[in-house]
Amino acid sequence: MNPVLAVVAPLSVGFLVPLVHIFKKRHTGMSVIISAGICSVVSAVVALSGWDGVAVTMGGWTPELGISLMVDRLSGAFLLLAATGFPISLACSMESFGYSPWRFYVLFFLSWGAVNGIILTGDLFNMFVFFEIFSVAAYLMVSYPPRSWQAVEASFKYLIFGTVGAMFLLLGIAYSFMATGQLNLGILSQMMASVPPVTLSVIGGCLVVGLFVKSGTAPTHFWLPDAHSSAQTSVSALLSGVLVKVSVYALIRLSFLLFFPVMREVFSVILFLGTLSVILGHLMAFQQEDIKRLLAYSTVAQIGTILIGVGCASSFGVSAAVYHCFNHMTAKMGLFLVAGALAEDRASRDISHMSGLWAHRPLFVAAFALFAVSLAGIPPFSGFMSKWLLLLASTKEGHIVPALAIVAGTVVSSAYYLKVLRAFFSPSETPVPHRRPRPVSGRLVALLSVLCVLLAAAPFIPGASSVLFSVGDSAVDGASYRDVVLGK
Amino acid sequence: MIHVSYGCAIAIFCIGLYTLITKRNLFKTVIGLSIMEGGVLLFMVASGFIPEAGPPLLPMVGGSVNPLPHTFPLTAIVIGASDVALALAYIIKIHRHYGTVDVDKIRGLRG
Repeated sequence: MNPVLAVVAPLSVGFLVPLVHIFKKRHTGMSVIISAGICSVVSAVVALSGWDGVAVTMGGWTPELGISLMVDRLSGAFLLLAATGFPISLACSMESFGYSPWRFYVLFFLSWGAVNGIILTGDLFNMFVFFEIFSVAAYLMVSYPPRSWQAVEASFKYLIFGTVGAMFLLLGIAYSFMATGQLNLGILSQMMASVPPVTLSVIGGCLVVGLFVKSGTAPTHFWLPDAHSSAQTSVSALLSGVLVKVSVYALIRLSFLLFFPVMREVFSVILFLGTLSVILGHLMAFQQEDIKRLLAYSTVAQIGTILIGVGCASSFGVSAAVYHCFNHMTAKMGLFLVAGALAEDRASRDISHMSGLWAHRPLFVAAFALFAVSLAGIPPFSGFMSKWLLLLASTKEGHIVPALAIVAGTVVSSAYYLKVLRAFFSPSETPVPHRRPRPVSGRLVALLSVLCVLLAAAPFIPGASSVLFSVGDSAVDGASYRDVVLGK
Repeated sequence: MIHVSYGCAIAIFCIGLYTLITKRNLFKTVIGLSIMEGGVLLFMVASGFIPEAGPPLLPMVGGSVNPLPHTFPLTAIVIGASDVALALAYIIKIHRHYGTVDVDKIRGLRG
Protein backbone atom coordinates (compact mmCIF):
# COMPACT_ATOMS: atom_id res chain seq x y z
CA MET A 1 0.00 0.00 0.00
CA ASN A 2 1.19 3.49 -0.80
CA PRO A 3 2.72 5.00 2.36
CA VAL A 4 1.22 8.41 1.64
CA LEU A 5 -2.22 7.03 2.57
CA ALA A 6 -1.16 6.73 6.20
CA VAL A 7 -0.57 10.49 6.26
CA VAL A 8 -3.48 11.52 4.06
CA ALA A 9 -6.16 9.47 5.83
CA PRO A 10 -5.93 11.08 9.31
CA LEU A 11 -5.30 14.56 7.88
CA SER A 12 -8.36 14.39 5.64
CA VAL A 13 -10.48 13.07 8.51
CA GLY A 14 -9.23 16.00 10.56
CA PHE A 15 -10.54 18.45 7.99
CA LEU A 16 -13.78 16.54 7.36
CA VAL A 17 -14.86 16.48 11.01
CA PRO A 18 -16.01 20.16 11.00
CA LEU A 19 -17.99 19.56 7.78
CA VAL A 20 -19.72 16.53 9.29
CA HIS A 21 -20.44 18.61 12.37
CA ILE A 22 -22.07 21.34 10.29
CA PHE A 23 -24.13 19.18 7.92
CA LYS A 24 -24.79 15.92 9.82
CA LYS A 25 -24.53 16.87 13.45
CA ARG A 26 -26.12 13.64 14.69
CA HIS A 27 -23.54 11.46 12.98
CA THR A 28 -20.40 13.23 14.24
CA GLY A 29 -19.60 10.71 16.97
CA MET A 30 -20.19 7.66 14.84
CA SER A 31 -18.19 9.04 11.90
CA VAL A 32 -15.27 9.93 14.17
CA ILE A 33 -15.20 6.39 15.56
CA ILE A 34 -15.43 4.77 12.13
CA SER A 35 -12.78 7.02 10.60
CA ALA A 36 -10.43 6.37 13.53
CA GLY A 37 -10.83 2.65 12.84
CA ILE A 38 -10.10 3.22 9.15
CA CYS A 39 -7.03 5.35 9.88
CA SER A 40 -5.71 2.76 12.29
CA VAL A 41 -6.20 -0.08 9.81
CA VAL A 42 -4.61 1.96 7.00
CA SER A 43 -1.55 2.73 9.16
CA ALA A 44 -1.20 -0.90 10.16
CA VAL A 45 -1.52 -2.10 6.57
CA VAL A 46 1.06 0.47 5.41
CA ALA A 47 3.40 -0.67 8.17
CA LEU A 48 3.02 -4.37 7.37
CA SER A 49 3.05 -4.07 3.58
CA GLY A 50 6.17 -1.92 3.76
CA TRP A 51 7.91 -4.18 6.24
CA ASP A 52 10.72 -5.00 3.82
CA GLY A 53 11.09 -1.45 2.60
CA VAL A 54 8.83 0.60 0.32
CA ALA A 55 9.50 4.17 -0.78
CA VAL A 56 7.61 6.64 -2.93
CA THR A 57 8.70 10.09 -4.01
CA MET A 58 5.88 12.57 -4.24
CA GLY A 59 4.92 14.24 -7.51
CA GLY A 60 7.03 12.00 -9.75
CA TRP A 61 10.28 13.81 -8.97
CA THR A 62 13.59 12.09 -8.38
CA PRO A 63 14.57 11.64 -4.70
CA GLU A 64 17.12 14.48 -5.04
CA LEU A 65 14.34 16.98 -5.74
CA GLY A 66 11.10 15.57 -4.38
CA ILE A 67 9.89 14.53 -0.95
CA SER A 68 10.31 10.83 -0.28
CA LEU A 69 8.06 8.82 2.00
CA MET A 70 9.57 5.60 3.17
CA VAL A 71 8.54 2.61 5.30
CA ASP A 72 11.00 0.12 6.67
CA ARG A 73 10.99 -2.03 9.79
CA LEU A 74 11.87 0.76 12.20
CA SER A 75 9.22 3.14 10.88
CA GLY A 76 6.78 0.24 10.55
CA ALA A 77 7.19 -0.58 14.24
CA PHE A 78 6.52 3.02 15.25
CA LEU A 79 3.55 3.25 12.86
CA LEU A 80 2.07 0.23 14.62
CA LEU A 81 2.70 1.92 17.96
CA ALA A 82 0.82 5.04 16.81
CA ALA A 83 -1.96 2.93 15.28
CA THR A 84 -2.51 1.26 18.67
CA GLY A 85 -2.10 4.27 20.91
CA PHE A 86 -4.29 6.78 19.09
CA PRO A 87 -7.53 4.71 19.00
CA ILE A 88 -7.14 3.85 22.71
CA SER A 89 -6.80 7.51 23.58
CA LEU A 90 -9.71 8.39 21.27
CA ALA A 91 -11.98 5.83 22.95
CA CYS A 92 -11.08 7.24 26.35
CA SER A 93 -11.69 10.84 25.29
CA MET A 94 -15.04 9.83 23.73
CA GLU A 95 -16.03 8.47 27.11
CA SER A 96 -15.00 11.54 29.07
CA PHE A 97 -15.90 14.35 26.62
CA GLY A 98 -18.74 12.79 24.63
CA TYR A 99 -19.19 13.47 20.93
CA SER A 100 -19.73 17.19 21.08
CA PRO A 101 -16.23 18.74 21.16
CA TRP A 102 -15.53 18.42 17.46
CA ARG A 103 -12.65 20.91 17.77
CA PHE A 104 -10.83 18.43 19.93
CA TYR A 105 -11.26 15.68 17.35
CA VAL A 106 -9.92 17.95 14.61
CA LEU A 107 -6.74 18.48 16.65
CA PHE A 108 -6.59 14.81 17.46
CA PHE A 109 -6.63 13.68 13.84
CA LEU A 110 -4.25 16.45 12.75
CA SER A 111 -1.72 15.27 15.29
CA TRP A 112 -2.24 11.68 14.18
CA GLY A 113 -1.57 12.60 10.55
CA ALA A 114 1.50 14.61 11.52
CA VAL A 115 2.83 11.78 13.69
CA ASN A 116 2.48 9.34 10.80
CA GLY A 117 4.16 11.95 8.62
CA ILE A 118 7.18 12.24 10.92
CA ILE A 119 7.49 8.48 10.99
CA LEU A 120 7.24 8.05 7.23
CA THR A 121 9.05 11.03 5.80
CA GLY A 122 12.47 10.72 4.25
CA ASP A 123 13.02 14.45 3.94
CA LEU A 124 14.54 16.55 6.68
CA PHE A 125 12.59 19.76 6.13
CA ASN A 126 9.34 17.88 5.71
CA MET A 127 10.03 16.25 9.06
CA PHE A 128 10.32 19.71 10.63
CA VAL A 129 6.98 20.77 9.13
CA PHE A 130 5.23 17.65 10.44
CA PHE A 131 6.90 18.19 13.83
CA GLU A 132 5.34 21.62 14.03
CA ILE A 133 1.87 20.45 12.96
CA PHE A 134 1.95 17.79 15.64
CA SER A 135 3.38 20.17 18.24
CA VAL A 136 0.78 22.89 17.67
CA ALA A 137 -2.00 20.31 17.87
CA ALA A 138 -0.43 18.89 21.04
CA TYR A 139 -0.17 22.35 22.70
CA LEU A 140 -3.85 22.88 22.07
CA MET A 141 -4.83 19.40 23.22
CA VAL A 142 -2.97 19.91 26.51
CA SER A 143 -5.05 23.00 27.27
CA TYR A 144 -8.33 21.31 26.30
CA PRO A 145 -10.93 22.15 27.66
CA PRO A 146 -9.68 25.73 27.95
CA ARG A 147 -11.38 26.31 31.31
CA SER A 148 -8.55 24.89 33.41
CA TRP A 149 -5.95 27.57 34.27
CA GLN A 150 -3.28 25.10 35.19
CA ALA A 151 -3.59 23.48 31.77
CA VAL A 152 -3.34 26.85 29.98
CA GLU A 153 -0.11 27.63 31.84
CA ALA A 154 1.30 24.17 31.20
CA SER A 155 0.41 24.49 27.57
CA PHE A 156 2.13 27.89 27.33
CA LYS A 157 5.25 26.42 28.88
CA TYR A 158 5.11 23.47 26.47
CA LEU A 159 4.74 25.93 23.59
CA ILE A 160 7.81 27.96 24.59
CA PHE A 161 9.98 24.88 25.07
CA GLY A 162 8.62 23.16 21.98
CA THR A 163 9.26 26.17 19.78
CA VAL A 164 12.81 26.59 21.07
CA GLY A 165 13.36 22.92 20.26
CA ALA A 166 11.89 23.43 16.82
CA MET A 167 14.20 26.41 16.19
CA PHE A 168 17.26 24.32 17.07
CA LEU A 169 15.97 21.59 14.77
CA LEU A 170 15.48 24.12 11.99
CA LEU A 171 18.99 25.52 12.52
CA GLY A 172 20.41 22.00 12.29
CA ILE A 173 18.46 21.38 9.09
CA ALA A 174 19.69 24.70 7.64
CA TYR A 175 23.30 23.78 8.49
CA SER A 176 23.02 20.36 6.91
CA PHE A 177 21.46 21.88 3.81
CA MET A 178 24.31 24.38 3.62
CA ALA A 179 26.92 21.69 4.03
CA THR A 180 25.52 19.26 1.48
CA GLY A 181 22.82 21.00 -0.57
CA GLN A 182 20.50 18.06 0.10
CA LEU A 183 17.58 17.36 2.39
CA ASN A 184 16.76 13.78 1.45
CA LEU A 185 17.86 11.56 4.32
CA GLY A 186 19.12 8.80 2.06
CA ILE A 187 21.36 11.11 0.06
CA LEU A 188 22.37 13.09 3.16
CA SER A 189 23.55 9.91 4.85
CA GLN A 190 25.87 9.30 1.92
CA MET A 191 27.21 12.85 1.82
CA MET A 192 27.80 13.23 5.56
CA ALA A 193 31.19 11.50 5.16
CA SER A 194 32.44 14.42 3.07
CA VAL A 195 31.39 17.10 5.58
CA PRO A 196 34.22 18.49 7.72
CA PRO A 197 34.10 17.26 11.34
CA VAL A 198 33.56 20.71 12.89
CA THR A 199 30.49 21.36 10.73
CA LEU A 200 29.30 17.86 11.50
CA SER A 201 29.48 18.47 15.22
CA VAL A 202 27.50 21.71 14.84
CA ILE A 203 24.81 19.90 12.79
CA GLY A 204 24.72 17.06 15.29
CA GLY A 205 24.53 19.44 18.24
CA CYS A 206 21.63 21.44 16.82
CA LEU A 207 19.58 18.43 15.70
CA VAL A 208 20.14 16.48 18.91
CA VAL A 209 19.39 19.45 21.18
CA GLY A 210 16.18 20.13 19.25
CA LEU A 211 15.03 16.53 19.55
CA PHE A 212 16.01 16.34 23.23
CA VAL A 213 13.83 19.35 23.98
CA LYS A 214 10.96 17.84 22.00
CA SER A 215 11.25 14.47 23.71
CA GLY A 216 11.64 15.86 27.23
CA THR A 217 15.07 14.48 28.10
CA ALA A 218 16.60 15.49 31.42
CA PRO A 219 18.04 18.99 31.32
CA THR A 220 15.17 20.23 29.14
CA HIS A 221 12.33 18.22 30.65
CA PHE A 222 10.64 21.07 32.55
CA TRP A 223 7.65 21.26 30.25
CA LEU A 224 6.89 17.55 30.40
CA PRO A 225 5.64 17.06 33.99
CA ASP A 226 3.44 20.14 33.75
CA ALA A 227 1.96 19.29 30.37
CA HIS A 228 1.43 15.61 31.09
CA SER A 229 -0.07 16.13 34.52
CA SER A 230 -2.46 19.00 33.83
CA ALA A 231 -3.91 17.67 30.57
CA GLN A 232 -7.07 15.55 30.54
CA THR A 233 -6.62 11.84 31.20
CA SER A 234 -6.89 10.71 27.60
CA VAL A 235 -4.51 13.43 26.41
CA SER A 236 -1.96 12.59 29.11
CA ALA A 237 -2.11 8.97 28.03
CA LEU A 238 -1.61 9.98 24.42
CA LEU A 239 1.26 12.37 25.22
CA SER A 240 3.14 9.85 27.34
CA GLY A 241 2.30 6.83 25.27
CA VAL A 242 2.72 7.99 21.70
CA LEU A 243 3.70 11.61 21.14
CA VAL A 244 6.94 11.52 23.12
CA LYS A 245 7.95 8.33 21.29
CA VAL A 246 7.74 10.11 17.97
CA SER A 247 10.60 12.42 18.95
CA VAL A 248 12.51 9.34 20.05
CA TYR A 249 11.85 7.80 16.62
CA ALA A 250 13.18 10.93 14.92
CA LEU A 251 16.25 10.78 17.16
CA ILE A 252 16.90 7.12 16.29
CA ARG A 253 16.37 7.74 12.59
CA LEU A 254 18.51 10.88 12.30
CA SER A 255 21.32 9.77 14.59
CA PHE A 256 21.78 6.42 12.88
CA LEU A 257 21.39 7.64 9.31
CA LEU A 258 23.47 10.78 9.59
CA PHE A 259 26.02 10.20 12.36
CA PHE A 260 26.44 6.45 12.83
CA PRO A 261 29.20 5.91 10.26
CA VAL A 262 30.98 9.23 10.70
CA MET A 263 30.60 10.57 14.21
CA ARG A 264 30.06 8.22 17.14
CA GLU A 265 30.34 11.04 19.71
CA VAL A 266 26.66 11.84 19.12
CA PHE A 267 25.78 8.50 20.67
CA SER A 268 27.91 9.22 23.74
CA VAL A 269 25.88 12.41 24.24
CA ILE A 270 22.62 10.48 23.86
CA LEU A 271 23.86 7.87 26.33
CA PHE A 272 24.96 10.50 28.85
CA LEU A 273 21.72 12.44 28.76
CA GLY A 274 19.71 9.22 28.83
CA THR A 275 21.49 8.19 32.02
CA LEU A 276 20.92 11.65 33.50
CA SER A 277 17.20 11.41 32.65
CA VAL A 278 16.90 8.02 34.29
CA ILE A 279 18.46 9.25 37.53
CA LEU A 280 16.74 12.64 37.66
CA GLY A 281 13.37 11.37 36.51
CA HIS A 282 13.16 8.60 39.08
CA LEU A 283 14.40 10.82 41.91
CA MET A 284 11.94 13.58 41.04
CA ALA A 285 9.09 11.09 40.71
CA PHE A 286 9.90 9.81 44.18
CA GLN A 287 9.26 13.26 45.67
CA GLN A 288 5.90 13.92 44.01
CA GLU A 289 2.65 14.08 45.92
CA ASP A 290 0.47 14.47 42.82
CA ILE A 291 -0.19 11.10 41.19
CA LYS A 292 -0.21 12.37 37.60
CA ARG A 293 2.98 14.38 38.14
CA LEU A 294 4.57 11.23 39.54
CA LEU A 295 3.64 9.34 36.38
CA ALA A 296 4.90 12.22 34.23
CA TYR A 297 8.32 12.22 35.93
CA SER A 298 8.38 8.46 35.51
CA THR A 299 7.93 9.11 31.77
CA VAL A 300 11.06 11.29 31.83
CA ALA A 301 12.95 8.39 33.39
CA GLN A 302 11.58 5.84 30.94
CA ILE A 303 12.50 8.05 27.98
CA GLY A 304 16.00 8.10 29.45
CA THR A 305 15.95 4.30 29.60
CA ILE A 306 14.97 4.17 25.94
CA LEU A 307 17.71 6.65 25.05
CA ILE A 308 20.29 4.45 26.79
CA GLY A 309 19.34 1.74 24.31
CA VAL A 310 19.74 4.19 21.43
CA GLY A 311 23.05 5.48 22.81
CA CYS A 312 24.54 1.98 22.76
CA ALA A 313 24.84 2.52 18.98
CA SER A 314 24.19 -1.14 18.25
CA SER A 315 21.43 -3.00 16.47
CA PHE A 316 20.66 -4.92 19.66
CA GLY A 317 20.36 -1.70 21.67
CA VAL A 318 17.90 -0.16 19.20
CA SER A 319 15.77 -3.33 19.18
CA ALA A 320 15.64 -3.26 22.97
CA ALA A 321 14.79 0.46 22.89
CA VAL A 322 11.93 -0.07 20.42
CA TYR A 323 10.66 -2.97 22.51
CA HIS A 324 10.76 -0.76 25.59
CA CYS A 325 8.82 1.93 23.66
CA PHE A 326 5.98 -0.57 23.18
CA ASN A 327 6.07 -1.77 26.78
CA HIS A 328 6.18 1.77 28.09
CA MET A 329 3.26 2.73 25.87
CA THR A 330 0.99 -0.07 27.10
CA ALA A 331 1.93 0.31 30.75
CA LYS A 332 1.98 4.11 30.92
CA MET A 333 -1.27 4.57 28.98
CA GLY A 334 -2.87 2.09 31.38
CA LEU A 335 -1.42 3.87 34.41
CA PHE A 336 -2.70 7.25 33.21
CA LEU A 337 -6.17 5.86 32.44
CA VAL A 338 -6.46 4.26 35.89
CA ALA A 339 -4.93 7.21 37.72
CA GLY A 340 -7.20 9.65 35.87
CA ALA A 341 -10.32 7.63 36.65
CA LEU A 342 -9.43 7.18 40.32
CA ALA A 343 -8.41 10.83 40.74
CA GLU A 344 -11.75 11.93 39.29
CA ASP A 345 -13.60 9.62 41.66
CA ARG A 346 -11.63 10.98 44.61
CA ALA A 347 -11.84 14.57 43.25
CA SER A 348 -8.17 14.95 44.15
CA ARG A 349 -4.84 14.05 42.58
CA ASP A 350 -3.00 14.03 45.89
CA ILE A 351 -1.62 10.57 46.72
CA SER A 352 -2.34 10.99 50.44
CA HIS A 353 -6.06 11.38 49.63
CA MET A 354 -6.15 8.22 47.56
CA SER A 355 -7.09 5.84 50.35
CA GLY A 356 -9.91 3.34 50.23
CA LEU A 357 -9.80 2.87 46.47
CA TRP A 358 -9.19 -0.88 46.62
CA ALA A 359 -12.65 -1.37 48.08
CA HIS A 360 -14.04 1.16 45.61
CA ARG A 361 -12.68 -0.15 42.32
CA PRO A 362 -10.72 -3.37 42.89
CA LEU A 363 -10.18 -4.17 39.20
CA PHE A 364 -8.76 -0.74 38.38
CA VAL A 365 -6.39 -0.92 41.34
CA ALA A 366 -5.33 -4.45 40.39
CA ALA A 367 -4.60 -3.24 36.84
CA PHE A 368 -2.64 -0.30 38.27
CA ALA A 369 -0.56 -2.75 40.29
CA LEU A 370 0.08 -4.84 37.17
CA PHE A 371 1.21 -1.85 35.10
CA ALA A 372 3.31 -0.46 37.93
CA VAL A 373 5.03 -3.80 38.51
CA SER A 374 5.68 -4.15 34.79
CA LEU A 375 7.12 -0.65 34.45
CA ALA A 376 9.22 -0.97 37.58
CA GLY A 377 10.73 -4.11 36.06
CA ILE A 378 9.67 -7.09 38.16
CA PRO A 379 10.39 -10.39 36.36
CA PRO A 380 7.56 -12.03 34.49
CA PHE A 381 6.19 -8.80 32.97
CA SER A 382 7.04 -6.96 29.80
CA GLY A 383 8.85 -4.05 31.43
CA PHE A 384 11.34 -6.45 32.96
CA MET A 385 12.03 -8.13 29.62
CA SER A 386 12.86 -4.90 27.82
CA LYS A 387 14.90 -3.52 30.73
CA TRP A 388 16.83 -6.79 30.78
CA LEU A 389 17.55 -6.50 27.07
CA LEU A 390 18.60 -2.87 27.56
CA LEU A 391 20.95 -3.90 30.36
CA LEU A 392 22.46 -6.61 28.14
CA ALA A 393 22.87 -4.16 25.26
CA SER A 394 24.47 -1.57 27.49
CA THR A 395 26.94 -3.91 29.18
CA LYS A 396 27.80 -5.56 25.86
CA GLU A 397 29.04 -2.19 24.59
CA GLY A 398 30.97 -1.68 27.83
CA HIS A 399 28.73 1.02 29.32
CA ILE A 400 28.50 0.04 32.98
CA VAL A 401 27.24 3.30 34.52
CA PRO A 402 24.06 3.51 32.39
CA ALA A 403 23.30 -0.13 33.22
CA LEU A 404 23.74 0.62 36.92
CA ALA A 405 21.47 3.66 36.55
CA ILE A 406 18.73 1.47 35.07
CA VAL A 407 19.07 -0.97 37.97
CA ALA A 408 19.05 1.79 40.59
CA GLY A 409 16.06 3.34 38.84
CA THR A 410 14.21 0.04 39.20
CA VAL A 411 14.67 0.18 42.96
CA VAL A 412 13.54 3.80 43.21
CA SER A 413 10.54 3.24 40.94
CA SER A 414 9.43 0.21 42.98
CA ALA A 415 9.58 2.47 46.03
CA TYR A 416 7.36 5.17 44.57
CA TYR A 417 4.88 2.79 42.98
CA LEU A 418 4.60 0.98 46.32
CA LYS A 419 3.91 4.34 47.97
CA VAL A 420 0.96 4.84 45.59
CA LEU A 421 -0.28 1.27 46.03
CA ARG A 422 -0.09 1.53 49.80
CA ALA A 423 -2.35 4.58 49.62
CA PHE A 424 -4.78 2.68 47.35
CA PHE A 425 -4.99 -0.32 49.66
CA SER A 426 -5.21 1.53 52.97
CA PRO A 427 -8.76 1.78 54.36
CA SER A 428 -10.47 5.14 54.29
CA GLU A 429 -12.74 6.85 56.82
CA THR A 430 -14.55 8.99 54.25
CA PRO A 431 -16.40 7.26 51.40
CA VAL A 432 -15.24 7.91 47.84
CA PRO A 433 -17.39 10.83 46.66
CA HIS A 434 -18.04 9.95 43.00
CA ARG A 435 -18.81 6.77 41.22
CA ARG A 436 -19.31 7.22 37.53
CA PRO A 437 -19.64 4.05 35.48
CA ARG A 438 -16.66 3.71 33.14
CA PRO A 439 -17.35 0.80 30.82
CA VAL A 440 -15.02 1.99 28.04
CA SER A 441 -12.08 2.82 30.31
CA GLY A 442 -12.53 -0.51 32.05
CA ARG A 443 -12.30 -2.41 28.76
CA LEU A 444 -9.34 -0.33 27.59
CA VAL A 445 -7.50 -1.02 30.84
CA ALA A 446 -8.26 -4.73 30.45
CA LEU A 447 -6.99 -4.66 26.85
CA LEU A 448 -3.81 -2.84 27.90
CA SER A 449 -3.14 -5.28 30.73
CA VAL A 450 -3.53 -8.23 28.34
CA LEU A 451 -1.11 -6.52 25.93
CA CYS A 452 1.26 -5.84 28.82
CA VAL A 453 1.37 -9.54 29.72
CA LEU A 454 1.51 -10.79 26.13
CA LEU A 455 4.35 -8.48 25.11
CA ALA A 456 6.51 -10.10 27.77
CA ALA A 457 6.46 -13.32 25.75
CA ALA A 458 7.81 -11.66 22.58
CA PRO A 459 11.52 -12.44 23.08
CA PHE A 460 10.76 -16.13 23.79
CA ILE A 461 8.75 -16.82 20.63
CA PRO A 462 11.33 -17.49 17.88
CA GLY A 463 9.37 -15.72 15.12
CA ALA A 464 8.59 -12.66 17.23
CA SER A 465 12.11 -12.26 18.54
CA SER A 466 13.62 -12.41 15.06
CA VAL A 467 11.12 -9.71 13.98
CA LEU A 468 12.11 -7.64 17.00
CA PHE A 469 15.82 -7.86 16.31
CA SER A 470 15.38 -7.16 12.60
CA VAL A 471 13.92 -3.76 13.63
CA GLY A 472 17.29 -2.81 15.10
CA ASP A 473 19.11 -4.10 12.03
CA SER A 474 17.02 -1.91 9.75
CA ALA A 475 17.75 1.15 11.93
CA VAL A 476 21.51 0.60 11.80
CA ASP A 477 21.71 -0.35 8.14
CA GLY A 478 22.00 2.97 6.29
CA ALA A 479 22.89 1.26 3.00
CA SER A 480 19.60 -0.60 2.67
CA TYR A 481 17.71 2.61 3.53
CA ARG A 482 19.52 4.36 0.69
CA ASP A 483 18.77 1.47 -1.67
CA VAL A 484 15.06 1.65 -0.92
CA VAL A 485 14.80 5.45 -1.10
CA LEU A 486 16.90 5.82 -4.22
CA GLY A 487 15.05 2.91 -5.85
CA LYS A 488 17.90 0.50 -6.49
CA MET B 1 31.43 39.09 3.12
CA ILE B 2 28.94 36.23 3.32
CA HIS B 3 30.52 35.16 6.60
CA VAL B 4 29.32 38.42 8.12
CA SER B 5 25.72 37.51 7.26
CA TYR B 6 26.12 34.06 8.77
CA GLY B 7 27.64 35.57 11.89
CA CYS B 8 24.83 38.12 12.14
CA ALA B 9 22.17 35.44 11.78
CA ILE B 10 23.69 33.31 14.52
CA ALA B 11 24.17 36.39 16.72
CA ILE B 12 20.48 37.23 16.29
CA PHE B 13 19.59 33.65 17.20
CA CYS B 14 21.67 33.89 20.37
CA ILE B 15 20.12 37.27 21.27
CA GLY B 16 16.71 35.68 20.98
CA LEU B 17 17.73 32.76 23.17
CA TYR B 18 19.21 35.16 25.74
CA THR B 19 16.00 37.19 25.78
CA LEU B 20 13.97 34.04 26.27
CA ILE B 21 16.09 32.86 29.18
CA THR B 22 16.56 36.11 31.09
CA LYS B 23 13.32 38.08 30.72
CA ARG B 24 10.53 37.49 33.23
CA ASN B 25 7.80 39.14 31.18
CA LEU B 26 5.73 36.74 29.08
CA PHE B 27 5.52 39.15 26.15
CA LYS B 28 9.29 39.54 26.11
CA THR B 29 9.60 35.77 26.12
CA VAL B 30 7.50 35.60 22.98
CA ILE B 31 9.51 38.45 21.45
CA GLY B 32 12.64 36.39 22.15
CA LEU B 33 11.07 33.43 20.40
CA SER B 34 10.30 35.58 17.40
CA ILE B 35 13.86 36.95 17.30
CA MET B 36 15.26 33.42 17.38
CA GLU B 37 13.09 32.47 14.48
CA GLY B 38 14.21 35.55 12.56
CA GLY B 39 17.83 34.53 13.08
CA VAL B 40 17.26 31.05 11.68
CA LEU B 41 15.34 32.39 8.69
CA LEU B 42 18.07 34.92 7.85
CA PHE B 43 20.60 32.13 8.10
CA MET B 44 18.64 29.99 5.65
CA VAL B 45 18.22 32.83 3.18
CA ALA B 46 21.92 33.68 3.38
CA SER B 47 22.86 30.07 2.72
CA GLY B 48 21.58 30.33 -0.85
CA PHE B 49 24.18 32.93 -1.78
CA ILE B 50 26.75 32.07 -4.42
CA PRO B 51 29.52 34.63 -5.08
CA GLU B 52 29.25 36.63 -8.31
CA ALA B 53 25.95 35.07 -9.32
CA GLY B 54 22.89 36.92 -10.50
CA PRO B 55 19.27 36.56 -9.47
CA PRO B 56 17.60 33.31 -10.61
CA LEU B 57 15.59 34.83 -13.47
CA LEU B 58 15.02 33.66 -17.02
CA PRO B 59 16.81 34.21 -19.38
CA MET B 60 19.82 32.99 -17.39
CA VAL B 61 23.03 34.90 -17.86
CA GLY B 62 25.95 33.22 -16.16
CA GLY B 63 25.30 31.57 -12.76
CA SER B 64 22.51 32.39 -10.38
CA VAL B 65 22.10 32.13 -6.63
CA ASN B 66 20.37 29.03 -5.26
CA PRO B 67 16.64 29.86 -5.01
CA LEU B 68 15.72 26.70 -3.06
CA PRO B 69 16.73 27.94 0.44
CA HIS B 70 14.51 30.98 -0.12
CA THR B 71 11.43 28.80 -0.27
CA PHE B 72 12.02 27.07 3.08
CA PRO B 73 11.64 30.29 5.10
CA LEU B 74 8.19 30.80 3.56
CA THR B 75 6.99 27.61 5.21
CA ALA B 76 8.92 28.34 8.38
CA ILE B 77 7.42 31.87 8.58
CA VAL B 78 3.91 30.43 8.48
CA ILE B 79 4.78 27.95 11.23
CA GLY B 80 6.46 30.64 13.33
CA ALA B 81 3.48 32.97 12.92
CA SER B 82 1.09 30.28 14.16
CA ASP B 83 3.34 29.54 17.15
CA VAL B 84 3.55 33.22 18.08
CA ALA B 85 -0.20 33.72 17.59
CA LEU B 86 -0.96 30.77 19.84
CA ALA B 87 1.50 32.01 22.47
CA LEU B 88 -0.10 35.46 22.47
CA ALA B 89 -3.56 33.92 22.79
CA TYR B 90 -2.37 31.99 25.84
CA ILE B 91 -0.88 35.16 27.31
CA ILE B 92 -4.25 36.90 26.96
CA LYS B 93 -5.91 34.03 28.82
CA ILE B 94 -3.24 34.02 31.53
CA HIS B 95 -3.49 37.80 31.90
CA ARG B 96 -7.27 37.61 32.26
CA HIS B 97 -6.92 35.17 35.10
CA TYR B 98 -3.93 36.53 37.02
CA GLY B 99 -3.94 40.18 35.96
CA THR B 100 -0.19 40.03 35.38
CA VAL B 101 2.31 38.87 32.79
CA ASP B 102 5.20 38.52 35.22
CA VAL B 103 6.44 34.93 35.33
CA ASP B 104 7.39 35.14 39.00
CA LYS B 105 3.84 35.99 40.05
CA ILE B 106 2.22 33.19 38.07
CA ARG B 107 2.06 30.02 40.10
CA GLY B 108 2.48 27.29 37.50
CA LEU B 109 5.22 28.91 35.45
CA ARG B 110 7.88 29.07 38.15
CA GLY B 111 10.96 26.91 37.81
